[in-house]
Amino acid sequence: MSVFMDLSVCSTPDRNHLRNLVEKAANLGFSTVAINYVFEPAAKSKQEIPTPAPMIDDLPLVQGRSRPIRVLNRLTIVMSDSSHFRPTAAEYRCFDLLAVQPTTEKLFHAACMSLDVDIIVIPVTEKLPFTFKRAPVNGAVDRGVVFEVSYSASIRDSTMRRYTIANANALMDTCKGKNVILSSQAEQPLELRGPYDIINLALLLGLSDGDAKEAVSSTCRAVLLHAESRKTASGIVYTVKTNTSGQQEAPPAAGDGEAPAAKRARPHLKE
Amino acid sequence: MVRVKSRYLLCEVNVSNRSSLLHLDDRAVAAAVKAAVARTHGDYGAALCSIRFCVKYLNAHTGIVLLRFPKKFYRLLWSALPFITGIETRGQKIPCFLNCLHVGGTIRTCQKFLIQYNKHQLHQMLPKCKNKEEKNEVRRAILSCSLTGEKMGLKGEESEEERANT
Repeated sequence: MSVFMDLSVCSTPDRNHLRNLVEKAANLGFSTVAINYVFEPAAKSKQEIPTPAPMIDDLPLVQGRSRPIRVLNRLTIVMSDSSHFRPTAAEYRCFDLLAVQPTTEKLFHAACMSLDVDIIVIPVTEKLPFTFKRAPVNGAVDRGVVFEVSYSASIRDSTMRRYTIANANALMDTCKGKNVILSSQAEQPLELRGPYDIINLALLLGLSDGDAKEAVSSTCRAVLLHAESRKTASGIVYTVKTNTSGQQEAPPAAGDGEAPAAKRARPHLKE
Repeated sequence: MVRVKSRYLLCEVNVSNRSSLLHLDDRAVAAAVKAAVARTHGDYGAALCSIRFCVKYLNAHTGIVLLRFPKKFYRLLWSALPFITGIETRGQKIPCFLNCLHVGGTIRTCQKFLIQYNKHQLHQMLPKCKNKEEKNEVRRAILSCSLTGEKMGLKGEESEEERANT
């Protein structure tokens, strides 16, 4: 039995609701979920990037394991202009995963080839606004960026189902089933599905058996590692801001939980 | 010997309100599955779903359903199951979804898996009991509901012991 992940459930301000969602996901056997915050920059008005809410305490145990579920935060930026993605923004640092949803072919090309992101979201609620070209998709596969197809829109509505299946199949033709993840994007607990159901559902989306299983397990893990290495220099060097004056204060931007033990700042050793 | 091959899908009906599970019956579940298959795969799916498809077992208390599909087409029919959003029974629609736990070639393997699964479920629930009386209450309830005449050796023995004690 492999480790299943669902890298996108919709965030709600209601804590109880979110807790229900996470509990249901743990019950179904997902050992990691990412809570998705959507940021859609409008044309003129200046908008705030949402900040992740604090974690829920006493997380439920995963079905079939004795470990509690892991909850991550993820930011999705809906891009309609290239200025919407600011690679150095400090707000991005508090999210574990970074995703973009490009709306034009040019932006899709940029997202695949150059932008420093982990996930490219494929639109499933509308007809594909552009066609997938081999070159950018291959570039994304080489860089380790993955494409995400979400399935809960297809559960809600018959028209969305057609768009989901059509867009997913168009993508699978180009990327041959590699570097694809399937996630729920669920708002209600009843919109989640079990991992084995999703694997079989991927049959309709044009994935083969092995690729489908990878889409909910090992590719998701690769994304998490990619996200971790995004914060480092080529995955080797990791910088943390230390407070020169005081030893009692923890490093501000990167919390203790994110950095591996070896990379954590050790103020008491630097005296 | 050659037999007609089938695949048995052991599914769990997930609802938000557990008391509504008691309204379920196997005809309603079968109708919901058939409708979902027809909606996703059209006439072709509906035709395949009419050969040897049946609901073999339904436990309304725990929400466990056992579905039988012909082996040749079970992947196709299974892919329609995630699109079930509710089961209509006695004039009301229960919002729910089916979560597949196990796929087996015989009912026997499914039963084996189910016993193991329920055992595991119990181990997860027991620590949530607040005091010892509650724990004993749960244990007693489990022992008293083991069916006579069924081949559950371990449980049968335990209930006999219980009877001897009381």
